[in-house]
Amino acid sequence: MKSAVNWSVAAIIVIGSLLLTGCGFKDIDKRLFVVSIGVDLAKNSSKKYDVHLKLAVPSGSKQQPNEFTIVSEQADSMSDAVRIIKTKVDKEIDFSHAKMILIGEELAKQKGNAGIYYWLARRRDIQLIAWVVVAKPTALDVLKVKPKSEQIPSNSLFLAMGKDGSETPYILPDFLFDFKMRLIERGLDPMLPIVEAKKELFEIKTTSLFNKNHMKLTLNPEETKALNFLLNKEQKSAIWARKGKTRFFIDTQKIRSKYKIYTPKGKPPYIKFDIKIKGIVEETSRKIPNTRLAKYEKEVEKETNKFVKNVLVKIQKSGIDPIGFGLRYRSRHFNENDWEEWQKIYPKIVFKVDTKVKITDTGLIE
Amino acid sequence: MNRYFFYLILTNMLINVIIFVPKILIEYRYEGAVMGMLIAIPIGFTLACLYSKAITKFPGQGLPEIADKFFKHRWLTILHFGSIQLAVFSAGLITLVGFIDVLTRFINPEMPRLLLLSIYLIAIIFIIQLPTERVMYILEIVLFMNTPLIGFIVFKAFTSDYISWDSILEVGTHLFDRPSLKAIAAASYVFSGYANLVIFNRVIKEKLKVWNFVIIFFMGIFNLFTTFFIPIGFHGSDGAQEYLYPWISTSDSLRLVYSPIERVIFIFLLFYMSITLMSISIHWHSAFELFKGTFRKKENKKMKWIVLSAYSGCAVIAVMFLETILLNQITVYWMIARLGVEVVIVISFSLWARRQLA
Repeated sequence: MKSAVNWSVAAIIVIGSLLLTGCGFKDIDKRLFVVSIGVDLAKNSSKKYDVHLKLAVPSGSKQQPNEFTIVSEQADSMSDAVRIIKTKVDKEIDFSHAKMILIGEELAKQKGNAGIYYWLARRRDIQLIAWVVVAKPTALDVLKVKPKSEQIPSNSLFLAMGKDGSETPYILPDFLFDFKMRLIERGLDPMLPIVEAKKELFEIKTTSLFNKNHMKLTLNPEETKALNFLLNKEQKSAIWARKGKTRFFIDTQKIRSKYKIYTPKGKPPYIKFDIKIKGIVEETSRKIPNTRLAKYEKEVEKETNKFVKNVLVKIQKSGIDPIGFGLRYRSRHFNENDWEEWQKIYPKIVFKVDTKVKITDTGLIE
Repeated sequence: MNRYFFYLILTNMLINVIIFVPKILIEYRYEGAVMGMLIAIPIGFTLACLYSKAITKFPGQGLPEIADKFFKHRWLTILHFGSIQLAVFSAGLITLVGFIDVLTRFINPEMPRLLLLSIYLIAIIFIIQLPTERVMYILEIVLFMNTPLIGFIVFKAFTSDYISWDSILEVGTHLFDRPSLKAIAAASYVFSGYANLVIFNRVIKEKLKVWNFVIIFFMGIFNLFTTFFIPIGFHGSDGAQEYLYPWISTSDSLRLVYSPIERVIFIFLLFYMSITLMSISIHWHSAFELFKGTFRKKENKKMKWIVLSAYSGCAVIAVMFLETILLNQITVYWMIARLGVEVVIVISFSLWARRQLA
């Protein structure tokens, strides 16, 4: 009797659950996966944006795996564009594999696009670990590039950003969540790598610096590298210096930098950077004797000090703060108005850079 | 070291991610959350100590058994049981509604909520009818499988390149702000896993040693600071409060390059599915057993199913009517009410227990 009651209850539950209307799950062959999202300013049109979605085209054979199509639409907002793009394709658009977000350079330079940046973070299906880059000349051009070595659509960009493939000091990758955080964190401004479309490959060696709403400054490759030193992002790098007529390169194995903000009373405030570099000589135009390495180290130190300082001053002049000095200042001061104080301090702060270089050897040959 | 006691507390510590504790704390980050947390730690810890000390004086007995032997006033018993029941049941309900919302948002937005809920309810109703010991065993298995991996995710978060320690310290500099009651109430929740001892004391056959409390104290502190500061480190001192579920967005901000799934969010949600299920089940098991204990004399089958369907009905209504923002607001006040109820019950019970066994 008892078990009969139990069974009947179980049966009712099972039958009852069958009555609930079916779930709306769509099979994988009825979905189109977006691999990259590109946004440009619309040209020759009354609309504001030109949105491109790069869709991976699944194919049955292994011979042509790298197939993609780009669907574009002009609209005044992202959500409008995506809704209309949905009418152009036969399958459901799925953003869960969108790992790259490209912002056209012209768009990035314009004010008032926070709506787009927030749309990306607001959507539940777009990953917060998607990379955000500035595309040059336009996002569409970068999306169209199909490098020969690429096996899956957009994969070469993923590899470049993710440091799984090439490791270089000229790329400072940034994730969507970090970009969004930097957009509103007081005292820390966004910076995005610039991807330039060349014929069959990309060039990623410059960095764009943003203030809180638009792109303000572009760093050239050398400056990008210096910023990389300061942020402790990538250890493998190279620096060059000159001593007399000898021009030589150092392949770095270790770069450590830290800074501290000093605000002495009655004296101008300053920021002191300590950079420690360890590396080997990789190339030189003349012979460097091992016994005199110390002198060459000094030269590199001088060169680096000057160079890094120039970059810091250049960034400071344009009133932006990608390294986060302001945030550091806020985090070390307990008063409520520390941010207002910092805004007065930053324009006139002085940088002092102290580099220590250690050349361990000159490679396999002296 | 009594591991059953430890599991109960640990479940609550893990589940605070779902029950809006980080959201509430981060919202008050510039208005006294840090001080509130520092105040909540001694409060929560003291309550946990007092109550567990008091109830473990009756080894192997839940509250219904204790009441049978010692409680004289029938109405007082009903009131006592009723208030605890309401507290643990609503805790489970908020967790359930919150997690159903998370699941529909992140895993399958096309699936109707009620279908998801019914899947959960079937499992929960099955578990809460089991004997207390068996519920404990399931809890042990679930925690055993999930906690190390959640620990790994937390470790990855702490060692991530993108965590901004300056943002964390910036929030830390708001230490001396006047503490807010809401933050205190939310923060003290991490210790309140002991509330399930009302029933689960049945499986604890010995007195608790000092070690238990020392471990819980340090784990509570670690848990609270992880809960609060990691989302701030990832999303900024100014930006973290913009997220509806700070911890789930934080897990989406982690990248495990060489794991089968690159996006940590799905691994994280997978672990939390079972932990949430167990958390709701132990809460509702306590409520259910207390209800049975109240009417011990007239226990019958019909009564049991009425209660279970009432529970399910509550869940269905709550899922249908509680939108996320409303649920969030309700949870804030629920936290305060819960702290009040806890203080009253713990103090009165521990005084009573001391007098009874003096």
